[in-house]
Amino acid sequence: MNFHPSPPQQLLAATARQFLTARCPIELVQRLTNMGGPERAPQTPLGGSGRPGKAVAPLDTSGFDATLWRGMAELGWQGLLVPPELGGSGGSLLDVVVLVEEMGRACLPGPFITSAVAATCALMGDGLQKRVLPAMADGERIATLALVEERASFDLDAMTLACDLPGRLTGRKLFVRDAHLANDLIVAVRAGGDLTLLLLPTDRPGVTRVPLATGGPERLYEVIFDEVAIGADDVVGLPGHGRASLVRALRAGALARAAEIVGAAQRVLELTVEHAKTRVQGGRPIGGHQAIQHACADLVRDVDASRGLLYAAAWKAAEGGSAEADIAMAKAYAGEAGLSVARRAHQIFGAISYCEEHPLHLFHKRIQAASLDFGDADLQLETVARAIGLG
Amino acid sequence: MDFAWTAEERAFAEDVRRFLRAHPPERFPADGVDAGYGSGAHSREFLAALAAEGWLSMCWPKAHGGAERPMFLKLVLMEELALAGAPFGPLPGCWQTADAIIEYGTERLRREILPEIARGVATFWQGYSEPDAGSDLLALKTTARRDGDHWILRGHKIWSSHAGISRHGLVFTRTSQEARRSRGFSMFVVANGTPGMDIRPIRSLTGEVYHYEVFLDDVRVPADLMLGPEGEGFIALLNGLDSDRFWGRFYKAPALERVLRQLVDYANTTFSDGRRLADHAVVRRRLAHMATEIAALRFMFYRAACLIRDGGPITYETAVAKVMADETGQRLAQLGMDVLGLWGSLGEGSPWAKLGGRMSGTYLTSLGHTIAGGTAEILRTTVAVRGLGLPSGRG
Repeated sequence: MNFHPSPPQQLLAATARQFLTARCPIELVQRLTNMGGPERAPQTPLGGSGRPGKAVAPLDTSGFDATLWRGMAELGWQGLLVPPELGGSGGSLLDVVVLVEEMGRACLPGPFITSAVAATCALMGDGLQKRVLPAMADGERIATLALVEERASFDLDAMTLACDLPGRLTGRKLFVRDAHLANDLIVAVRAGGDLTLLLLPTDRPGVTRVPLATGGPERLYEVIFDEVAIGADDVVGLPGHGRASLVRALRAGALARAAEIVGAAQRVLELTVEHAKTRVQGGRPIGGHQAIQHACADLVRDVDASRGLLYAAAWKAAEGGSAEADIAMAKAYAGEAGLSVARRAHQIFGAISYCEEHPLHLFHKRIQAASLDFGDADLQLETVARAIGLG
Repeated sequence: MDFAWTAEERAFAEDVRRFLRAHPPERFPADGVDAGYGSGAHSREFLAALAAEGWLSMCWPKAHGGAERPMFLKLVLMEELALAGAPFGPLPGCWQTADAIIEYGTERLRREILPEIARGVATFWQGYSEPDAGSDLLALKTTARRDGDHWILRGHKIWSSHAGISRHGLVFTRTSQEARRSRGFSMFVVANGTPGMDIRPIRSLTGEVYHYEVFLDDVRVPADLMLGPEGEGFIALLNGLDSDRFWGRFYKAPALERVLRQLVDYANTTFSDGRRLADHAVVRRRLAHMATEIAALRFMFYRAACLIRDGGPITYETAVAKVMADETGQRLAQLGMDVLGLWGSLGEGSPWAKLGGRMSGTYLTSLGHTIAGGTAEILRTTVAVRGLGLPSGRG
């Protein structure tokens, strides 16, 4: 047994730490994501009705730094999971976890987990991959997942949008992350008797992306399909056989979100401890008080325990095991522990952390969003319940 | 990263399971109660059976009669025993004492005590706490004064687990008054029955006897039964505490898992309001949540184990793991009582009792765990000061 990343993984993490420190300082994150920030462009629907002659709004790139994204692509990050023959480096989910932990630490904005982890996993092994994966690996194309519907759940049973093949797709998906940046949508529909994944370009006539007003920095969209023409070429794999790819994507996404939470919580821990050492009240650092010390000790426990489950699940997934319950545990635990870390950190920082100018809320909101993406604690714990034998 | 058991570890786990099939744990008589930590009851016969397999000394150096097997086999052994609910109570204390004797014991301790441990005969109580020295261990008043080739111990120790049924005490004393508060302490291995030693039981809130208090009225101890360097006992003790917290709690996660499995079975087979308990969303979710916490706990200990194995520095890792173990155990006990409801109040003697009538005992004993071996508060301070470098509150 050994908890250390391999030498190549250590190099990956060190490179990421260096790159993100230089290229993704917290000021950039603030500029890209703060609600009152100047770069928070007014959001408008993209695509329109899809009927010929209708004007198409220009791409809204808010919350996104294209230069940073290209820099990441130069390091090969978007191609980490993509097989070498398609222009990637054929890495494992354990490599992804090591990298994403650093991204969480930097509070890196953007669609990395959505596109380069979950969507990439959905496309893996299918003939269609040759169409988009090389460009996704290069950072030239971005894909997002249009899965969730009005039941607001990542439970597969909650995905009911139906489609004839070939035929027309009419309906909607909700909570589609970063749809404004995406060139492609991976859409879960019921066709051919069961779940089917479609790969649709966002500029396909009849596709409209409507921004959802969010309480935080996330960019979530309602995607409306209005008589969108669907052909056999749009199907990932075979009709009615999308379940395995979808499950693979959801698990990879959940694992990556858990890694993002662990990285973000680690940074919150470090910032908080630094504050406790330097903030002087009543003539002594507040970190000399047991009330603060004990709260900090709980931060350490929450971060360390989350990381243990994360690494074990990632290792198992990378070894080719199903890791279903392991990932569910890692995600459920990290989400809850990460939020607890963030809340306690706010209490230790005091009033200053209530300001938009202070970075803590960015990490907090990131942890919150990550804890909900690819299945919240309820959904993950149901997986755990079945795994421990609750009939 | 690698979370697989090695071939040697897997083979050994199979050996242990085979042993348990041949020696069903429930057939071994208990000499002392199970205090709920996960190592089960105190059973001399079971300890002797483990010793007969050579497992007590398997990791010692060959020069001391060991087989130099990897440390992780001790983890495998404890995990399998805890999952089976075996009564291996004294084992962790035996291992720690043996490690200390091998590291800095006298020739006499090595010659006399190590073979006794290897045979599963020697068991130990810890004489650390005193009535006025609990979390503030350095306030202890028990003294040892030199008299020729003996030391004469005088004082009052308390909360010594299983002292009345153990073979030796590890008695922590002040051997000189030093300017520095942490100097001048020494540890002795004192045989039970030595004249002047009076061991009295303390009845616990469970109604059973687990702790004892020990009065030392001029107890003469040969000088070569001092364990560790004279006057440096506290430093040795502190170093030992890191591993004490580890070896004293490592088996808690598998033991909790055992209780959780019982609750899962119970939920699957018990009907309430016309539905199985397992179909009640709250029960389902709480059990799954607890399984997740136990899994997280397990990896905290595995990580600490890797640090110990690799000789890495330990600042807070065992302290945080111990607190987590004990608080997780308390939550599981509460969950167990909640799932059982009124049935949880029935004890082992009742024909109506569920899960052997043991849940209320699990609940009650868990109360002591966040106090014994360093309170949760002291350990959180350790994590903050030693682990995070926050300023010591004493200054």
